[in-house]
Amino acid sequence: MTDISEVRDSAEILRQELMKEISRLNRFSHRGVLALALFLVISMFAWWGFFFLPSPDTVTAVLGRPPSARIISIALLLYTFSAIILSLSRMTAGIEHRSSFSHVGYLTAFFLFYYFGKALEDNYWAVFGSGVTILGVESYRIWTYCAEGIAKNQEDIEYVTRTGRPPPQE
Amino acid sequence: MFDTLAGKALVPVGLAVTGFMVVCCLVLYSVIRDDLHHNEIVHATNLADTILKSTRYAMHKSDRETLATIIKNVGEQKGVDHVRIFNKKGLVTFSAKSNELNRHVDKNAEGCIVCHKGAVPVTNLGTMQQARTFKNTEGMDVMAITAPIYNEPDCSAVACHPAGQKVLGTLDIGLSRAELNRSLSMLRIQMIVFTFMCLLLTISGVTALLRRNVFLPIQRLRRYVESTAQKNDIPEPPPHLPHDLDVIAISYYNAKSNSTGEKPGS
Repeated sequence: MTDISEVRDSAEILRQELMKEISRLNRFSHRGVLALALFLVISMFAWWGFFFLPSPDTVTAVLGRPPSARIISIALLLYTFSAIILSLSRMTAGIEHRSSFSHVGYLTAFFLFYYFGKALEDNYWAVFGSGVTILGVESYRIWTYCAEGIAKNQEDIEYVTRTGRPPPQE
Repeated sequence: MFDTLAGKALVPVGLAVTGFMVVCCLVLYSVIRDDLHHNEIVHATNLADTILKSTRYAMHKSDRETLATIIKNVGEQKGVDHVRIFNKKGLVTFSAKSNELNRHVDKNAEGCIVCHKGAVPVTNLGTMQQARTFKNTEGMDVMAITAPIYNEPDCSAVACHPAGQKVLGTLDIGLSRAELNRSLSMLRIQMIVFTFMCLLLTISGVTALLRRNVFLPIQRLRRYVESTAQKNDIPEPPPHLPHDLDVIAISYYNAKSNSTGEKPGS
């Protein structure tokens, strides 16, 4: 009698853990989209010419000359290429990685470098395209990772509910 | 769409390839436009130097008629928006357009303010700083160069200009950017077509390879499993399946044979 109730309790605990994991994955699946939304907000400010920032001349007077637009563009291309390759590799390996918001930071830095180099108008769409691509691939990676995780956990819950035993490990 | 194998394979590839191609094209377009703009300024500066050298003798001889004819002829050249010479007070003394003659140039206007923003005007500017772009009254895009006419020893020697005066006047020449804009517009269209073709090629290539190597063998395996599910006599697994699918098919065949009591391979 005690054994049966113990098994029932452990199954219930396992079920609750799986439910918690599902809700965590549900929350995590929005991360990519949230990062993309934040990037779009920053892009809007960049489109309006970062009106709240001091003028490029004021900042360059203190910090010195920024790198030329061509150097920034080469760095942007290298960054875009590496970020896409990294994201696709994580997708292949099925790694859970919370990198989306750091990409928003890097992309904002590119916007700022172009702004202080007085080349934002000419290169706005390049940074925007890069951001949408990187964050789009990242969002897709996170979303598919979470969708697969949720489906697996739901299968496990069904198994636990049906058998009262923990699911077999793959 | 996202649940199918095709969708899962194509969405990240399509997104990554298209996005990277678009970023590359945008950066390349920006670099080419900067280079063309730079070349255009160098070309305009050379043209301004040529005009100054051509008019030098007429200036030296104080031959106003020849000077006015040279300016008028250059102004009639295709692609030249305006050519004018104004003195250090900003009075237009020679111009290809007669209605501009004897008019004062606003020192605060774009192109003038670069030198005249301080109490003492700047007399030396880099080539790139001499250039300005604007739309003329007809709405045409124009790139203009202002080249100072310096007082050289032979100018002050003939007692026309005092030796202490550094700049005698300014030559202002404006060139139409219509041709450049047309080239850039063509380049834009070519890049869009190129990106679209690359995207189409990538998606077609991946789709063809997936269909040939993955989807069709899976379909054959599925048909084999479905056709043998209700039968007792199991046919041999379909031939020429990719190795991974072949292993599955043989495992299924063996399992099914064992369950029905048939000896595998008999």
